[in-house]
Amino acid sequence: MIKMQGIRKIYRTEHVETHALDSFDLEVKSGEFISIMGPSGSGKTTLLNLIGLLDSFDRGSYVLDDEDVSTLSDRQMSRIRNLKIGFIFQTFNLIPDLNIFDNVDVPLRYRGMPAKERRVAIEEALATVGLASRKKHMPAQLSGGQQQRVAVARAFVGGPKLILADEPTGNLDSAMANDIMDLLEKINEQGTTVAMVTHDPDLAHRAPRQIHLLDGSLIDLETQDKPVPLINGVPVGLAKAGC
Amino acid sequence: MFAYQLRLAFKSLRRNPVLSALMVVAIGLGIAVSTASVTIYHIYSSNPIPHKSDVLFHVEIDNWHPDRPFDSDHPERAPFQLSYRDVRALMQSQIPTYQTAAFRTELMVFPDGDEQRPFREIVRMCFSDFFLMFDVPFQYGHGWDDAADHAPEPVIVINSRTNLRLFGGANSVGRSLKIQDRYFTIIGVLAEWRPTPKHYDPTVNAFGEPEAIYMPFNFTPVFEITNYGNTWSWMSEPIDSHEEYLQSEILWIQMWVQLDDETQKQAYQDFLDAYVLEQKKQGRLSRPLNNRLLDVMATLEEREVVPDSTKSQLVVSLLFLVVCAINLIGILLGKFLSRAPEIGVRRALGASRRSVFIQHLIECEVIGVLGGSLGLALSVMVLNAINRMLSNGEQLHLDLTMVGAGLLLSLVAGLIAGIYPSWRICHVAPAVHLKMQ
Repeated sequence: MIKMQGIRKIYRTEHVETHALDSFDLEVKSGEFISIMGPSGSGKTTLLNLIGLLDSFDRGSYVLDDEDVSTLSDRQMSRIRNLKIGFIFQTFNLIPDLNIFDNVDVPLRYRGMPAKERRVAIEEALATVGLASRKKHMPAQLSGGQQQRVAVARAFVGGPKLILADEPTGNLDSAMANDIMDLLEKINEQGTTVAMVTHDPDLAHRAPRQIHLLDGSLIDLETQDKPVPLINGVPVGLAKAGC
Repeated sequence: MFAYQLRLAFKSLRRNPVLSALMVVAIGLGIAVSTASVTIYHIYSSNPIPHKSDVLFHVEIDNWHPDRPFDSDHPERAPFQLSYRDVRALMQSQIPTYQTAAFRTELMVFPDGDEQRPFREIVRMCFSDFFLMFDVPFQYGHGWDDAADHAPEPVIVINSRTNLRLFGGANSVGRSLKIQDRYFTIIGVLAEWRPTPKHYDPTVNAFGEPEAIYMPFNFTPVFEITNYGNTWSWMSEPIDSHEEYLQSEILWIQMWVQLDDETQKQAYQDFLDAYVLEQKKQGRLSRPLNNRLLDVMATLEEREVVPDSTKSQLVVSLLFLVVCAINLIGILLGKFLSRAPEIGVRRALGASRRSVFIQHLIECEVIGVLGGSLGLALSVMVLNAINRMLSNGEQLHLDLTMVGAGLLLSLVAGLIAGIYPSWRICHVAPAVHLKMQ
């Protein structure tokens, strides 16, 4: 599903260059559920943005769902985001003056789907996350957990092949976080690839595969020859970095 | 998608109604001023008889001072009016489809009964072809015929306002009306007719109302009528009688002919040249041969019916609209950029830059159209105020073309105001804002 090779991403200001990712390789198979961990500034969100075609990289190649996306136009990348990728954010990122139905409708609108099909898909998605009865509510009328469930519905309503979740439980209590994880697992069971950034080791371990980032480089626990000692689920080498 | 983006635009405007109202008012003011100016220019420069303006020709012969042109700034131009003796000669031609000499005067009208006092009224002296060549519409009756021209027969045509004033708007054909010392039979009542500009005589108040009464030209010597308009002369002549006035070189009569094709036009041009060459032999018309046939639009242009001040006013008002639109750029930029996190989400969910650009441009155009609607309402008020200040009654109004022009201007203003802010917001990096919400 995802094949990144030799990716380099540098953030430049007038005086400073920050290497967010360097010589970065990653391969994720279709239908996998991976969690991405690492200390703040390790490049987790940058990686997610690159995977989600929300940012560009300086070097390397990236094949998404068997399509080389390294040199696509903005329009082509938007199309891929719309058709193949669903996003879930830590702060939910619902549009405040659209009701729940219309928020879930946003990706389908950009797909040009007929109104009747959109309505069916949205109602199914809201039913899946248990919010069918709240479709006319505004985001501000929902709890944080409910808002994130709406965000999950918005992410999978179009049937994407890949869902990218950037700390989806970061603003939720443990009960609500587990609810969201249940939903993500359910979506993954249906064949959708899920990549989730999280700081919570317990949630990370619910994913069959975990990867850790440190200073823009990958430590893939599954592909290590020797087990890396963990402190509270975090590799020892990363614990000093303030994870 | 357009309907969706339109809905988003209205939603966005409702989010901050005060700011939205401010922007709409700013565009509205610009549209009001510019639409009023465009309307004035449009009316001043419009073709009053578009279906035949290219076959109606004003007749000019250069009958001015032998040593200097009539208009020193435009030496190629001839005087706009003719002398009575030249008119009498030119009216003998059989070449034109229609032809008329005409001038404006003022005569005393004596209504029947004691209810209304006698009054002076503006009268156009003309030939029967006047009504045919200028497609003058009739409410009742018709114009007079050639026989009435030649006799002349005591017949008149009155306009609808005069008919209302004297006969309460009823069909007055066949009724008599005393003018000067003679009774005339009304044979026609005009329907509403207000050519703008008044192409057949732009020498006096080109945007004023047409005359109230129309009388056969040949009553001119009978009543010893002189004109009530511009009179031009380049020489001093002793004039002690009306007959001497008619035989003088004083220029006071307009003449129009209808020539339907080039052959006819060339034949009439030859006729004019032959007449002037003949007059030269008699010691008249000493200037170089300069006989001109100007169609309606050329006549109006040469008479400079559209004042320079109107052109300047048009330019200034359009610049004012541009300034109003430019002032909105900063407001829209701030408003759009404050929405960057939402745009980041939309971009993540599949909106392309183009789609985001169009969405915001539509919002700007909605502001433009709302402002345009307000501006059109204001411009009606502005034009009504101008009409009240003009002594010759209502003449400026918004027609469908001008409403269309106002809406087009509002779209242009929306585009000017919105193109840069829309371009900026569609280029924000979505990744930067997604984490910041």
